Amino acid sequence: MAISKYIFSLLLIINTFVSFAQDEELYVQEKPKDTLRFYGFKLGVNIWRFADFQFKPERFSYEASFDFNIGHKYFGVIEGGHSEINLDKENFNYTSNGNFLKLGLDYNMLKKQPTDFLGAGLRFGWTGFKHSADQVSINDEHWGSYSTAISEKKYTMYWLEVSMGIKGEIFKNIYLGWAAIAKVRVSGGKDALFQPYDIPGFGNGKNSINLGINYYIYYQIPFNRK
Amino acid sequence: MKFQRVIIYCFFLFFTVSCADDQCNLETDALLKTEFVIKDQNLISINFLDSLSVFSPEWTDSIHYWKEKDGINLLYSLSPAEDFSEIIITSKKASLNDTLFIYYQREFLMLSPECGFVVNYTIDSVLSTSNYIDSLFIITPAINTLKNGHIQIYF
Repeated sequence: MAISKYIFSLLLIINTFVSFAQDEELYVQEKPKDTLRFYGFKLGVNIWRFADFQFKPERFSYEASFDFNIGHKYFGVIEGGHSEINLDKENFNYTSNGNFLKLGLDYNMLKKQPTDFLGAGLRFGWTGFKHSADQVSINDEHWGSYSTAISEKKYTMYWLEVSMGIKGEIFKNIYLGWAAIAKVRVSGGKDALFQPYDIPGFGNGKNSINLGINYYIYYQIPFNRK
Repeated sequence: MKFQRVIIYCFFLFFTVSCADDQCNLETDALLKTEFVIKDQNLISINFLDSLSVFSPEWTDSIHYWKEKDGINLLYSLSPAEDFSEIIITSKKASLNDTLFIYYQREFLMLSPECGFVVNYTIDSVLSTSNYIDSLFIITPAINTLKNGHIQIYF
């Protein structure tokens, strides 16, 4: 079910890329000027995380981004956020929380489209988080019921993230955009005794590679715009 | 025109978020497969395997063998409470028992909010008495909910 969800989303994005690429052909005749000129900042909020909260109320997280536009071609990006999980179930209580930070660059493949973005990104991610569990009850057919608690453990983890996405200016200075993301664990975040369930910013703690989607709304700080 | 398209795609993307139900739909048992291989002609002649079963002193029941196409196997879980399990192998056709001492490491894992916690194991060593057991081998030391562990016992 989850795989079909990703495939469907990727197909939609690919379809969008194709549509944009067709639009892009209209602009390729003119050479870009001032490729290293600074064109301002965008502030963004990941609204996918709010949608996630609707479906998984045990999770609470937020994520914001800040990018600066260099010649409409390169975008330096800083993204950061916070994530919490509080599960109070019949057979266990589990809590996890931590912060994450991502630094990277986006590359715009549109030759001349000063207000939009279609391209790829690369990020390096860091997170510091902790988790614990108590009243964990494990029931086995033969061994019976076993209860335990797992004290708080802290972790640091690093990962690399590649993305493909779009951003479009829907109103003056307001952008919507999303990206399909693949995250690859570089180091940390593993525990031989108590595996983290969810790693802030990275996702499922069991996996070394996680796929995901970001869905952002941005505000372009009016600066150096005609 | 392009921006309307963006908005429409965004709208469709929201529909790709699936609603999770409250049921656990994942496998939660992490089991050890124990394969029995009989080479001793005396045990073959008394049909040693026909009434073979295993149990632990901490259990209130026992598990009886069944014959599969690929051999004679028993599946059971290890103790989630300790780092070793004592398993006794017995047969009504034989006067003595053999005992396995399985030593392992445990890993606690929250499988999902619906399924709760499971325990994965990694077998370090298996010792045994040798009333009937000739030798044993650890084939697959890792035991988790996706893949059974596997030991082979020769009689």
